[in-house]
Amino acid sequence: MSTSRRDFLKGAGAAVAAGTGLGVPALGRAQGRPGVPAEPLKIGVLAIRAGIAAPVGTAGLRGTEWWAERVNRAGGILGRPVQLVVEEESNPKDTVERYRKLILQDKVEVVLGGISTGVTLALGPVAEDMGTPWLSWDGTTQKGVEETMPSTKWAFRSVDNEVEAIVAAMLTAKYFKGIKTVAGIGNDYSYGHDCWESYQAVLRRHMPDVKFVLGLFPKLGATDFTSHIASIQQSRADLLMCSFWSGDATIIMKQAAAVGLFKTMKGVFTTAGGVHDSLKKDFTPEGLLLGYNSMYFDDPKGSPLLKQFVREYKAKYNEYPPYECDHAYFCAESYKAGLEKAYAAAGQWPSKTQVVKALEGLEVESLSGKRSWREDHIQMCNFYQGITTHKNAYDFVTIDPLEIVSTKQAMKPSGTRLFDWISSWKT
Amino acid sequence: MGGIFHAAILFLVAAGLQVIFGVQKIFNLACGSFYALGAYVGISAVQAFIGAGGPPGLFLLPLALAGLLVGLVGVVVERGLLRFVYDRDETFQLLLTFALVLMLEDAIRMTWGTAPQSTAGLYLVYGQVRLLGATVPTYNLVVIGASLAIAAGIGWFLTRTAFGRIVRATAENREMAEALGVNMASVYARVFTLGTALGTLGGALVIPATAAMSEMGIELIVEAFAVVVIGGLGSMRGAFVGALVVGVLRAVAISVYPELEMLLIYLIVIGVLVLRPRGIFGEVAV
Repeated sequence: MSTSRRDFLKGAGAAVAAGTGLGVPALGRAQGRPGVPAEPLKIGVLAIRAGIAAPVGTAGLRGTEWWAERVNRAGGILGRPVQLVVEEESNPKDTVERYRKLILQDKVEVVLGGISTGVTLALGPVAEDMGTPWLSWDGTTQKGVEETMPSTKWAFRSVDNEVEAIVAAMLTAKYFKGIKTVAGIGNDYSYGHDCWESYQAVLRRHMPDVKFVLGLFPKLGATDFTSHIASIQQSRADLLMCSFWSGDATIIMKQAAAVGLFKTMKGVFTTAGGVHDSLKKDFTPEGLLLGYNSMYFDDPKGSPLLKQFVREYKAKYNEYPPYECDHAYFCAESYKAGLEKAYAAAGQWPSKTQVVKALEGLEVESLSGKRSWREDHIQMCNFYQGITTHKNAYDFVTIDPLEIVSTKQAMKPSGTRLFDWISSWKT
Repeated sequence: MGGIFHAAILFLVAAGLQVIFGVQKIFNLACGSFYALGAYVGISAVQAFIGAGGPPGLFLLPLALAGLLVGLVGVVVERGLLRFVYDRDETFQLLLTFALVLMLEDAIRMTWGTAPQSTAGLYLVYGQVRLLGATVPTYNLVVIGASLAIAAGIGWFLTRTAFGRIVRATAENREMAEALGVNMASVYARVFTLGTALGTLGGALVIPATAAMSEMGIELIVEAFAVVVIGGLGSMRGAFVGALVVGVLRAVAISVYPELEMLLIYLIVIGVLVLRPRGIFGEVAV
């Protein structure tokens, strides 16, 4: 039974890959640059399209497909058309198998994608063995990285996921000065617990007198939080910090509104902006702190590239794009820039090692402005958070004022440990 | 009150599981998937109703109707698949219903996509009431009332109607009922459809308070199993009491010591299995 299910998903993946590759034959002739192979450049993509993370996985894939179409319309990379080979990201074991298959059988030159913490931490050591660059969209938390990916040659990791909670704690101190007690809720896995620990550590630095009175961790995928909300009400906390990021963010917002939770307490949703267009005004109040991770679709100072992407995404999918599109676009665009940089230096189609070296420290224009790879292979970007407002043209909340915090401010420097770094702050 | 709302929904799904097991002796692993199907069809029905200009205050009508009608998928499943494995080993029945779980999950994904689906603010249309010092969404009370009415209706149906007596006789002794001229194919099709409709109605009724996600059935089925073990396999009274025990215990655990949320339920399950293997109202040895 699991075989037929997997076959179905693989079939779906093949269909997407074929769809993306439809334009390839027409563009499939290199422009005659010296040392550039004529055949299409195969790029492997790992995307979750099933289960609770499907909305972000699908968004990442859409962002990559949009990038590939643009690149191919412009004549490819160094005249070489790109062809996406899409595989499903699921559990760590199966995803590792598909990752190997992409490299050994499909002969891709790079693998993009990976969202789940469990999967990315399993892929890290494998990427080092396979000797092919892997650029992760998302899904690396501090503890796991320290254990399985302390330093890498081939793996390029996402932003530390706790940054969302760290930025939220900084802004909590700025916007909710009077609070004395805080309750927290997050999913019962590493991300939920790590966010809560990070949030507490940072808020303690800014507001030493704040008490953390309750920490709740329902299991990932739960759809009923009425009892949790009752418990939060009983705690009489001044503020609720929530790190839900999928459909559960919408559910808790709705169930909280039904009992008037945010009439008596403040709310901080570190990354619920990932499902922003489901946070309808009907049940999402103004005055909450809401995080959008690395791209805010409605940024008034957004680049023409962002505006074009949002416009075309909305026209094609009838949705407004979430942040994962930006992580995915950045990975793909930086690989293109890395190839071009390495080619310029080598004078011929570069080796994988040359591409990896070119990527280190590279900065490119992404959907949220300039983004770069730190020398230790970690994404750098800006985080977008702000206070929810109903004053917009949508039926869901947006944020105003908009706060932009860079990873230089909110992510631990290379070679340090997170909580040591937070403890060293002068506030 | 949150625990009782959860218990009300849980009762509908567990009752569907019980009625099917009681008569057909099939442990329907797909009951959670029917619940998810009811949720998605309920959302589509409500969106169509509101989109066509229907007054939001009447959203319960299309919701409940959609939940009941999609229960007819039970006829298709029973006549098209299950009837071929009645005489096979129980393992085949479990495999078949598990296959249904996977197929329905993919069917939902293909029809409604992967993004969670929500009914926007309909949950708040009926407002809130103050009850025992707490603010309770009126919709929760409506669902609790509906669930109680359905429990009473099932009790009346089983004890007071001719078909109810046939159902009980079949549950008691299939061969004897068959020898007395009961059309078993018809009974099985109708019972399975009733069990499915209870699950799909549960899914439809819960949806204003939550969001539909393709794996939502998996979450509930684990709790539904706990309900039937505690209440007693095959017993409708057991489904009622078991759902109440699980719903309220879970709420109490979250309030008092959140880490015990699931542990407490399974401690009760283990206790029941050790001390009273048939469950509180069970008539069949587990």
